[in-house]
Amino acid sequence: MGTLGRAIYSVGFWIRETGQALDRLGCRLQGNYYFQEQLSRHRTLMNVFDKAPAVDKDAFVAPSASIIGNVHVGRGSSIWYGCVLRGDVNSISVGSGTNIQDNSLVHVAKSNLSGKVLPTIIGDNVTVGHSAVLHGCTVEDEAFVGAGATLLDGVCVEKNAMVAAGALVRQNTRIPCGEVWGGNPAKFLRKLTEEEKAFISQSSLNYANLAQVHAAENAKGFDGN
Amino acid sequence: MATTLARIARKSLTTSTAFSIKRHFGTEAVAAATASTKSITPSADRVKWDYRGQRKIIPLGQWLPKIAVDAYVAPNVVLAGQVTVYDGASVWNGAVLRGDLNKITVGFCSNVQERCVLHAAWNSPTGLPAETSIERYVTIGAYSLLRSCTIEPECIIGQHSILMEGSLVETHSILEAGSVVPPGRRIPTGELWAGNPAKFVRTLTHEETLEIPKLAVAINDLSKTYFTEFLPYSTVYLEVEKLKNKLGIIV
Repeated sequence: MGTLGRAIYSVGFWIRETGQALDRLGCRLQGNYYFQEQLSRHRTLMNVFDKAPAVDKDAFVAPSASIIGNVHVGRGSSIWYGCVLRGDVNSISVGSGTNIQDNSLVHVAKSNLSGKVLPTIIGDNVTVGHSAVLHGCTVEDEAFVGAGATLLDGVCVEKNAMVAAGALVRQNTRIPCGEVWGGNPAKFLRKLTEEEKAFISQSSLNYANLAQVHAAENAKGFDGN
Repeated sequence: MATTLARIARKSLTTSTAFSIKRHFGTEAVAAATASTKSITPSADRVKWDYRGQRKIIPLGQWLPKIAVDAYVAPNVVLAGQVTVYDGASVWNGAVLRGDLNKITVGFCSNVQERCVLHAAWNSPTGLPAETSIERYVTIGAYSLLRSCTIEPECIIGQHSILMEGSLVETHSILEAGSVVPPGRRIPTGELWAGNPAKFVRTLTHEETLEIPKLAVAINDLSKTYFTEFLPYSTVYLEVEKLKNKLGIIV
Protein backbone atom coordinates (compact mmCIF):
# COMPACT_ATOMS: atom_id res chain seq x y z
CA MET A 1 0.00 0.00 0.00
CA GLY A 2 1.45 3.35 -1.07
CA THR A 3 1.55 6.56 0.90
CA LEU A 4 -1.63 7.81 -0.78
CA GLY A 5 -3.40 4.56 -0.10
CA ARG A 6 -2.30 4.70 3.52
CA ALA A 7 -3.57 8.28 3.81
CA ILE A 8 -6.95 7.37 2.32
CA TYR A 9 -7.11 4.38 4.62
CA SER A 10 -6.47 6.50 7.69
CA VAL A 11 -9.02 9.10 6.54
CA GLY A 12 -11.48 6.26 6.26
CA PHE A 13 -10.57 5.31 9.78
CA TRP A 14 -11.19 8.85 11.05
CA ILE A 15 -14.57 8.94 9.37
CA ARG A 16 -15.50 5.63 10.95
CA GLU A 17 -14.30 6.71 14.37
CA THR A 18 -16.24 9.97 14.08
CA GLY A 19 -19.28 8.07 12.96
CA GLN A 20 -18.97 5.75 15.93
CA ALA A 21 -18.52 8.67 18.29
CA LEU A 22 -21.65 10.26 16.84
CA ASP A 23 -23.42 6.94 17.17
CA ARG A 24 -22.47 6.74 20.85
CA LEU A 25 -23.55 10.33 21.37
CA GLY A 26 -26.89 9.53 19.75
CA CYS A 27 -27.27 6.50 21.98
CA ARG A 28 -26.56 8.56 25.07
CA LEU A 29 -29.13 11.16 24.02
CA GLN A 30 -31.69 8.39 23.61
CA GLY A 31 -30.75 7.10 27.05
CA ASN A 32 -29.76 3.62 25.94
CA TYR A 33 -26.42 2.00 26.28
CA TYR A 34 -26.43 -0.81 23.78
CA PHE A 35 -23.20 0.45 22.30
CA GLN A 36 -21.47 -0.94 25.38
CA GLU A 37 -22.63 -4.45 24.58
CA GLN A 38 -20.24 -7.09 23.34
CA LEU A 39 -20.75 -9.85 20.86
CA SER A 40 -23.10 -12.56 22.04
CA ARG A 41 -21.41 -14.80 24.60
CA HIS A 42 -23.40 -17.76 23.40
CA ARG A 43 -21.39 -20.93 23.06
CA THR A 44 -22.48 -23.89 21.02
CA LEU A 45 -20.50 -26.32 23.10
CA MET A 46 -20.04 -25.52 26.74
CA ASN A 47 -18.45 -27.39 29.59
CA VAL A 48 -19.94 -27.55 33.04
CA PHE A 49 -16.84 -27.72 35.20
CA ASP A 50 -15.47 -31.17 34.38
CA LYS A 51 -18.33 -32.30 32.18
CA ALA A 52 -17.38 -31.64 28.58
CA PRO A 53 -19.50 -32.39 25.55
CA ALA A 54 -18.09 -34.82 23.00
CA VAL A 55 -19.33 -34.08 19.52
CA ASP A 56 -18.21 -35.97 16.48
CA LYS A 57 -16.58 -33.89 13.79
CA ASP A 58 -19.12 -35.03 11.21
CA ALA A 59 -22.09 -33.94 13.29
CA PHE A 60 -23.90 -30.70 12.54
CA VAL A 61 -24.57 -28.42 15.45
CA ALA A 62 -26.36 -25.19 14.56
CA PRO A 63 -24.63 -22.06 15.88
CA SER A 64 -27.64 -21.04 17.92
CA ALA A 65 -28.00 -24.46 19.55
CA SER A 66 -26.38 -25.12 22.90
CA ILE A 67 -24.83 -28.36 23.99
CA ILE A 68 -23.95 -28.15 27.63
CA GLY A 69 -22.18 -30.62 29.93
CA ASN A 70 -22.02 -34.35 29.57
CA VAL A 71 -23.43 -34.82 26.08
CA HIS A 72 -22.24 -37.24 23.42
CA VAL A 73 -23.26 -36.67 19.84
CA GLY A 74 -22.41 -39.39 17.38
CA ARG A 75 -21.37 -39.35 13.76
CA GLY A 76 -23.70 -37.78 11.18
CA SER A 77 -26.18 -36.48 13.75
CA SER A 78 -27.66 -33.03 13.50
CA ILE A 79 -28.72 -30.62 16.21
CA TRP A 80 -30.77 -27.81 14.67
CA TYR A 81 -31.26 -24.13 15.43
CA GLY A 82 -32.22 -23.12 18.94
CA CYS A 83 -31.94 -26.61 20.45
CA VAL A 84 -30.75 -27.04 24.00
CA LEU A 85 -29.12 -30.28 25.13
CA ARG A 86 -28.33 -29.83 28.77
CA GLY A 87 -26.43 -32.71 30.35
CA ASP A 88 -25.55 -31.06 33.63
CA VAL A 89 -26.76 -33.46 36.32
CA ASN A 90 -26.59 -36.61 34.22
CA SER A 91 -25.49 -37.70 30.77
CA ILE A 92 -27.11 -37.41 27.38
CA SER A 93 -26.04 -39.61 24.53
CA VAL A 94 -27.20 -39.11 20.98
CA GLY A 95 -26.41 -41.90 18.53
CA SER A 96 -25.35 -41.56 14.93
CA GLY A 97 -27.53 -40.30 12.09
CA THR A 98 -30.04 -38.85 14.53
CA ASN A 99 -31.64 -35.46 14.06
CA ILE A 100 -32.99 -33.21 16.79
CA GLN A 101 -34.94 -30.43 15.15
CA ASP A 102 -35.32 -26.75 15.89
CA ASN A 103 -36.02 -25.39 19.38
CA SER A 104 -36.11 -28.83 21.02
CA LEU A 105 -35.02 -29.36 24.58
CA VAL A 106 -33.26 -32.45 25.86
CA HIS A 107 -32.64 -32.56 29.56
CA VAL A 108 -31.89 -35.11 32.24
CA ALA A 109 -32.90 -35.85 35.80
CA LYS A 110 -30.55 -36.84 38.57
CA SER A 111 -33.12 -39.28 39.84
CA ASN A 112 -36.89 -39.51 39.90
CA LEU A 113 -39.19 -40.17 42.89
CA SER A 114 -38.45 -43.88 42.96
CA GLY A 115 -34.72 -43.15 42.91
CA LYS A 116 -34.09 -44.34 39.39
CA VAL A 117 -31.14 -42.66 37.67
CA LEU A 118 -32.29 -41.13 34.43
CA PRO A 119 -29.79 -40.23 31.76
CA THR A 120 -31.30 -39.43 28.37
CA ILE A 121 -30.35 -41.89 25.69
CA ILE A 122 -31.26 -41.30 22.08
CA GLY A 123 -30.37 -44.08 19.67
CA ASP A 124 -29.29 -44.13 16.04
CA ASN A 125 -31.33 -42.72 13.13
CA VAL A 126 -33.93 -41.18 15.42
CA THR A 127 -36.00 -38.20 14.27
CA VAL A 128 -37.01 -35.78 16.98
CA GLY A 129 -39.42 -33.16 15.65
CA HIS A 130 -39.43 -29.42 16.24
CA SER A 131 -39.82 -28.03 19.77
CA ALA A 132 -40.08 -31.42 21.41
CA VAL A 133 -39.15 -31.81 25.06
CA LEU A 134 -37.29 -34.96 26.11
CA HIS A 135 -36.69 -35.21 29.81
CA GLY A 136 -34.76 -38.14 31.26
CA CYS A 137 -36.03 -40.69 28.77
CA THR A 138 -34.79 -43.37 26.41
CA VAL A 139 -35.48 -43.28 22.70
CA GLU A 140 -34.29 -46.36 20.86
CA ASP A 141 -32.99 -46.70 17.29
CA GLU A 142 -35.15 -45.52 14.39
CA ALA A 143 -37.89 -44.13 16.59
CA PHE A 144 -39.82 -41.00 15.73
CA VAL A 145 -40.81 -38.28 18.16
CA GLY A 146 -43.29 -35.89 16.60
CA ALA A 147 -43.22 -32.13 16.68
CA GLY A 148 -44.06 -30.50 19.97
CA ALA A 149 -44.21 -33.80 21.85
CA THR A 150 -43.22 -33.97 25.51
CA LEU A 151 -41.58 -37.09 26.93
CA LEU A 152 -41.36 -37.07 30.69
CA ASP A 153 -39.02 -38.90 33.07
CA GLY A 154 -38.49 -42.61 32.53
CA VAL A 155 -40.32 -42.83 29.23
CA CYS A 156 -38.99 -45.45 26.86
CA VAL A 157 -39.76 -45.26 23.17
CA GLU A 158 -38.84 -48.59 21.66
CA LYS A 159 -37.33 -49.26 18.27
CA ASN A 160 -39.53 -48.15 15.34
CA ALA A 161 -42.15 -46.63 17.64
CA MET A 162 -43.72 -43.27 16.97
CA VAL A 163 -44.93 -40.48 19.23
CA ALA A 164 -47.48 -38.29 17.44
CA ALA A 165 -47.13 -34.52 17.27
CA GLY A 166 -48.19 -32.60 20.35
CA ALA A 167 -48.41 -35.71 22.52
CA LEU A 168 -47.63 -35.65 26.21
CA VAL A 169 -46.19 -38.97 27.35
CA ARG A 170 -46.54 -39.41 31.10
CA GLN A 171 -43.82 -40.68 33.44
CA ASN A 172 -42.51 -44.25 33.08
CA THR A 173 -44.57 -45.04 30.01
CA ARG A 174 -43.21 -47.62 27.62
CA ILE A 175 -44.15 -47.20 23.99
CA PRO A 176 -43.77 -50.63 22.40
CA CYS A 177 -42.10 -51.38 19.12
CA GLY A 178 -44.03 -50.38 15.99
CA GLU A 179 -46.88 -48.46 17.68
CA VAL A 180 -48.14 -44.91 17.39
CA TRP A 181 -49.10 -43.06 20.56
CA GLY A 182 -50.67 -39.63 20.72
CA GLY A 183 -52.83 -37.21 22.70
CA ASN A 184 -52.61 -35.80 26.20
CA PRO A 185 -51.91 -38.05 28.09
CA ALA A 186 -50.56 -40.22 25.28
CA LYS A 187 -52.56 -43.32 24.42
CA PHE A 188 -52.15 -46.11 21.91
CA LEU A 189 -53.56 -45.01 18.56
CA ARG A 190 -52.62 -47.69 16.02
CA LYS A 191 -49.82 -49.85 14.66
CA LEU A 192 -47.26 -48.46 12.23
CA THR A 193 -47.40 -49.73 8.68
CA GLU A 194 -44.29 -50.99 6.89
CA GLU A 195 -44.32 -47.87 4.72
CA GLU A 196 -44.19 -45.61 7.74
CA LYS A 197 -41.31 -47.58 9.21
CA ALA A 198 -39.42 -47.09 5.96
CA PHE A 199 -40.32 -43.40 6.08
CA ILE A 200 -38.73 -43.00 9.52
CA SER A 201 -35.36 -44.31 8.40
CA GLN A 202 -35.65 -42.32 5.16
CA SER A 203 -36.42 -39.12 7.07
CA SER A 204 -33.33 -39.44 9.22
CA LEU A 205 -31.29 -39.96 6.07
CA ASN A 206 -32.82 -36.90 4.41
CA TYR A 207 -32.04 -34.85 7.46
CA ALA A 208 -28.44 -36.03 7.55
CA ASN A 209 -28.02 -34.79 3.99
CA LEU A 210 -29.77 -31.52 4.70
CA ALA A 211 -27.56 -30.99 7.72
CA GLN A 212 -24.47 -31.10 5.54
CA VAL A 213 -25.76 -28.17 3.47
CA HIS A 214 -26.41 -26.17 6.61
CA ALA A 215 -23.07 -27.14 8.14
CA ALA A 216 -21.23 -25.91 5.05
CA GLU A 217 -23.12 -22.62 5.10
CA ASN A 218 -22.66 -22.05 8.81
CA ALA A 219 -18.95 -22.85 8.75
CA LYS A 220 -18.46 -19.74 6.63
CA GLY A 221 -17.09 -16.75 8.47
CA PHE A 222 -18.36 -13.20 8.50
CA ASP A 223 -16.34 -12.39 5.40
CA GLY A 224 -18.01 -15.19 3.50
CA ASN A 225 -15.25 -17.76 3.09
CA MET B 1 2.34 -19.05 37.97
CA ALA B 2 -1.40 -18.64 37.67
CA THR B 3 -1.37 -19.70 34.05
CA THR B 4 0.62 -22.85 34.76
CA LEU B 5 -1.81 -23.70 37.53
CA ALA B 6 -4.72 -23.19 35.18
CA ARG B 7 -3.05 -25.37 32.57
CA ILE B 8 -2.42 -28.16 35.04
CA ALA B 9 -5.99 -27.95 36.28
CA ARG B 10 -7.34 -28.15 32.75
CA LYS B 11 -5.12 -31.06 31.89
CA SER B 12 -6.17 -33.01 34.96
CA LEU B 13 -9.79 -32.23 34.18
CA THR B 14 -9.58 -33.52 30.64
CA THR B 15 -7.89 -36.73 31.69
CA SER B 16 -10.50 -37.31 34.37
CA THR B 17 -13.36 -36.75 31.92
CA ALA B 18 -11.85 -39.16 29.43
CA PHE B 19 -11.65 -41.63 32.27
CA SER B 20 -15.23 -41.08 33.35
CA ILE B 21 -16.52 -41.46 29.78
CA LYS B 22 -14.82 -44.82 29.59
CA ARG B 23 -16.23 -45.83 32.96
CA HIS B 24 -19.68 -44.62 31.97
CA PHE B 25 -19.78 -46.77 28.89
CA GLY B 26 -18.16 -49.69 30.60
CA THR B 27 -20.71 -50.03 33.36
CA GLU B 28 -23.90 -48.97 31.68
CA ALA B 29 -24.94 -51.58 29.21
CA VAL B 30 -27.59 -49.55 27.48
CA ALA B 31 -29.42 -50.46 24.33
CA ALA B 32 -28.80 -47.23 22.51
CA ALA B 33 -25.15 -46.74 23.34
CA THR B 34 -23.96 -48.73 20.36
CA ALA B 35 -20.47 -48.98 18.97
CA SER B 36 -21.03 -45.86 16.84
CA THR B 37 -21.67 -43.70 19.90
CA LYS B 38 -18.47 -44.89 21.51
CA SER B 39 -16.28 -43.94 18.58
CA ILE B 40 -16.72 -40.20 18.67
CA THR B 41 -13.94 -38.39 16.87
CA PRO B 42 -14.05 -34.79 18.02
CA SER B 43 -13.33 -32.00 15.60
CA ALA B 44 -9.72 -30.84 15.51
CA ASP B 45 -10.55 -27.16 15.05
CA ARG B 46 -13.22 -27.07 17.69
CA VAL B 47 -12.35 -23.59 18.85
CA LYS B 48 -12.86 -22.14 15.41
CA TRP B 49 -16.03 -24.16 14.98
CA ASP B 50 -17.21 -23.16 18.40
CA TYR B 51 -17.18 -19.44 17.84
CA ARG B 52 -18.78 -19.24 14.43
CA GLY B 53 -21.36 -17.05 16.05
CA GLN B 54 -25.04 -17.05 15.47
CA ARG B 55 -26.37 -15.54 12.30
CA LYS B 56 -29.79 -14.18 11.55
CA ILE B 57 -29.81 -14.69 7.83
CA ILE B 58 -28.46 -17.93 6.48
CA PRO B 59 -28.46 -18.18 2.71
CA LEU B 60 -28.54 -21.72 1.40
CA GLY B 61 -27.20 -22.16 -2.10
CA GLN B 62 -28.91 -19.59 -4.30
CA TRP B 63 -31.69 -18.89 -1.80
CA LEU B 64 -31.35 -15.77 0.25
CA PRO B 65 -33.91 -14.95 2.94
CA LYS B 66 -35.66 -11.68 2.14
CA ILE B 67 -36.85 -9.22 4.73
CA ALA B 68 -38.90 -6.18 3.72
CA VAL B 69 -37.50 -2.82 4.74
CA ASP B 70 -40.14 -2.13 7.37
CA ALA B 71 -40.50 -5.65 8.72
CA TYR B 72 -39.15 -6.31 12.18
CA VAL B 73 -37.10 -9.44 12.72
CA ALA B 74 -35.62 -9.87 16.20
CA PRO B 75 -31.83 -10.28 16.41
CA ASN B 76 -31.78 -13.90 17.55
CA VAL B 77 -34.18 -15.22 14.94
CA VAL B 78 -32.85 -17.69 12.40
CA LEU B 79 -34.03 -17.30 8.82
CA ALA B 80 -32.59 -19.98 6.56
CA GLY B 81 -33.16 -20.53 2.86
CA GLN B 82 -36.30 -19.49 1.00
CA VAL B 83 -37.93 -17.23 3.55
CA THR B 84 -39.73 -14.00 2.71
CA VAL B 85 -40.94 -11.61 5.36
CA TYR B 86 -43.23 -9.01 3.80
CA ASP B 87 -43.84 -5.39 4.73
CA GLY B 88 -45.08 -4.59 8.19
CA ALA B 89 -44.64 -8.16 9.40
CA SER B 90 -42.76 -9.04 12.56
CA VAL B 91 -40.86 -12.10 13.72
CA TRP B 92 -40.11 -12.17 17.44
CA ASN B 93 -37.23 -13.45 19.51
CA GLY B 94 -36.10 -17.05 19.28
CA ALA B 95 -38.18 -17.99 16.27
CA VAL B 96 -36.76 -20.30 13.63
CA LEU B 97 -37.99 -20.04 10.04
CA ARG B 98 -36.29 -22.74 8.07
CA GLY B 99 -37.11 -22.73 4.37
CA ASP B 100 -34.55 -25.28 3.25
CA LEU B 101 -36.92 -27.72 1.58
CA ASN B 102 -39.68 -25.38 0.52
CA LYS B 103 -40.77 -21.76 0.60
CA ILE B 104 -41.93 -19.86 3.68
CA THR B 105 -43.75 -16.55 3.42
CA VAL B 106 -44.92 -14.27 6.18
CA GLY B 107 -47.47 -11.90 4.69
CA PHE B 108 -48.24 -8.23 5.12
CA CYS B 109 -48.79 -7.14 8.74
CA SER B 110 -48.61 -10.72 10.07
CA ASN B 111 -46.63 -11.61 13.13
CA VAL B 112 -44.81 -14.71 14.25
CA GLN B 113 -44.25 -14.57 17.98
CA GLU B 114 -41.57 -15.84 20.35
CA ARG B 115 -39.90 -19.21 19.83
CA CYS B 116 -42.09 -20.32 16.97
CA VAL B 117 -40.82 -22.84 14.47
CA LEU B 118 -41.87 -22.58 10.84
CA HIS B 119 -40.68 -25.28 8.54
CA ALA B 120 -41.71 -26.63 5.16
CA ALA B 121 -41.54 -30.23 4.02
CA TRP B 122 -40.79 -31.60 0.57
CA ASN B 123 -44.36 -32.56 -0.13
CA SER B 124 -47.69 -32.43 1.63
CA PRO B 125 -50.26 -35.25 1.85
CA THR B 126 -53.16 -33.15 0.54
CA GLY B 127 -51.65 -32.12 -2.76
CA LEU B 128 -51.65 -28.48 -1.74
CA PRO B 129 -48.31 -26.77 -2.28
CA ALA B 130 -45.97 -27.86 0.51
CA GLU B 131 -44.79 -24.35 1.19
CA THR B 132 -45.69 -22.64 4.45
CA SER B 133 -47.67 -19.61 3.51
CA ILE B 134 -48.93 -17.10 6.01
CA GLU B 135 -51.12 -14.46 4.47
CA ARG B 136 -51.82 -10.94 5.67
CA TYR B 137 -53.06 -9.98 9.17
CA VAL B 138 -52.30 -13.34 10.75
CA THR B 139 -51.21 -13.64 14.37
CA ILE B 140 -49.17 -16.72 15.26
CA GLY B 141 -48.89 -17.15 19.04
CA ALA B 142 -45.70 -17.93 20.94
CA TYR B 143 -44.25 -21.47 20.87
CA SER B 144 -46.36 -22.48 17.89
CA LEU B 145 -45.19 -24.88 15.30
CA LEU B 146 -46.17 -24.70 11.65
CA ARG B 147 -45.10 -27.24 9.13
CA SER B 148 -46.07 -26.90 5.46
CA CYS B 149 -49.43 -25.35 6.21
CA THR B 150 -51.44 -22.61 4.58
CA ILE B 151 -52.96 -19.86 6.64
CA GLU B 152 -55.36 -17.58 4.83
CA PRO B 153 -55.74 -13.87 5.65
CA GLU B 154 -56.96 -12.69 9.05
CA CYS B 155 -56.54 -15.68 11.34
CA ILE B 156 -55.31 -16.19 14.88
CA ILE B 157 -53.25 -19.22 15.84
CA GLY B 158 -53.08 -19.58 19.63
CA GLN B 159 -49.96 -20.12 21.65
CA HIS B 160 -48.30 -23.54 21.71
CA SER B 161 -50.43 -24.87 18.86
CA ILE B 162 -49.12 -27.33 16.33
CA LEU B 163 -50.13 -27.38 12.67
CA MET B 164 -48.98 -30.41 10.74
CA GLU B 165 -48.28 -30.93 7.03
CA GLY B 166 -50.92 -29.84 4.57
CA SER B 167 -53.28 -28.28 7.08
CA LEU B 168 -55.27 -25.31 5.90
CA VAL B 169 -56.69 -22.58 8.07
CA GLU B 170 -59.27 -20.60 6.13
CA THR B 171 -59.83 -16.90 6.46
CA HIS B 172 -61.40 -15.37 9.63
CA SER B 173 -60.90 -18.43 11.85
CA ILE B 174 -59.28 -18.82 15.24
CA LEU B 175 -57.34 -21.73 16.72
CA GLU B 176 -57.26 -21.79 20.51
CA ALA B 177 -54.01 -22.08 22.47
CA GLY B 178 -52.54 -25.58 22.62
CA SER B 179 -54.47 -27.05 19.74
CA VAL B 180 -52.98 -29.70 17.50
CA VAL B 181 -54.10 -29.81 13.87
CA PRO B 182 -53.41 -33.22 12.29
CA PRO B 183 -51.98 -33.54 8.75
CA GLY B 184 -54.33 -32.47 5.99
CA ARG B 185 -57.04 -30.97 8.24
CA ARG B 186 -59.00 -27.99 6.95
CA ILE B 187 -60.31 -25.41 9.41
CA PRO B 188 -63.28 -23.82 7.62
CA THR B 189 -63.83 -20.10 7.50
CA GLY B 190 -65.23 -18.20 10.48
CA GLU B 191 -64.90 -21.00 13.06
CA LEU B 192 -63.21 -21.49 16.41
CA TRP B 193 -61.33 -24.75 16.90
CA ALA B 194 -59.49 -26.10 19.95
CA GLY B 195 -57.97 -29.22 21.53
CA ASN B 196 -55.62 -32.08 20.78
CA PRO B 197 -56.57 -33.13 18.11
CA ALA B 198 -58.35 -29.89 17.15
CA LYS B 199 -62.15 -30.01 17.20
CA PHE B 200 -64.85 -27.56 16.21
CA VAL B 201 -66.04 -25.41 19.13
CA ARG B 202 -68.34 -22.77 17.65
CA THR B 203 -68.71 -20.31 14.83
CA LEU B 204 -67.36 -16.80 15.37
CA THR B 205 -69.58 -13.77 15.52
CA HIS B 206 -69.12 -10.92 13.09
CA GLU B 207 -67.69 -8.69 15.84
CA GLU B 208 -65.03 -11.27 16.66
CA THR B 209 -63.88 -11.58 13.06
CA LEU B 210 -63.52 -7.82 12.95
CA GLU B 211 -61.21 -7.99 15.96
CA ILE B 212 -58.72 -10.34 14.26
CA PRO B 213 -56.96 -7.82 11.99
CA LYS B 214 -57.01 -5.26 14.80
CA LEU B 215 -54.94 -7.59 16.99
CA ALA B 216 -52.41 -8.07 14.20
CA VAL B 217 -52.17 -4.33 13.69
CA ALA B 218 -51.74 -3.72 17.43
CA ILE B 219 -48.86 -6.21 17.62
CA ASN B 220 -47.21 -4.70 14.60
CA ASP B 221 -47.50 -1.21 16.04
CA LEU B 222 -45.65 -2.62 19.02
CA SER B 223 -42.99 -4.04 16.70
CA LYS B 224 -42.42 -0.56 15.30
CA THR B 225 -41.24 0.60 18.72
CA TYR B 226 -38.76 -2.29 18.76
CA PHE B 227 -37.73 -1.50 15.23
CA THR B 228 -36.57 1.98 16.22
CA GLU B 229 -34.13 0.43 18.72
CA PHE B 230 -32.01 -0.98 15.93
CA LEU B 231 -29.90 0.86 13.43
CA PRO B 232 -30.43 -0.21 9.83
CA TYR B 233 -26.98 -1.73 9.79
CA SER B 234 -25.54 -3.63 12.71
CA THR B 235 -22.26 -2.61 14.28
CA VAL B 236 -21.30 -6.18 15.17
CA TYR B 237 -18.59 -6.14 12.53
CA LEU B 238 -16.72 -3.65 14.72
CA GLU B 239 -16.60 -6.20 17.51
CA VAL B 240 -15.40 -8.83 15.09
CA GLU B 241 -12.60 -6.59 13.94
CA LYS B 242 -11.67 -5.91 17.54
CA LEU B 243 -11.52 -9.63 18.25
CA LYS B 244 -9.46 -10.22 15.14
CA ASN B 245 -6.96 -7.61 16.25
CA LYS B 246 -6.84 -9.05 19.74
CA LEU B 247 -6.18 -12.55 18.49
CA GLY B 248 -3.66 -11.33 15.94
CA ILE B 249 -5.58 -12.53 12.90
CA ILE B 250 -4.55 -10.65 9.78
CA VAL B 251 -7.50 -9.63 7.65
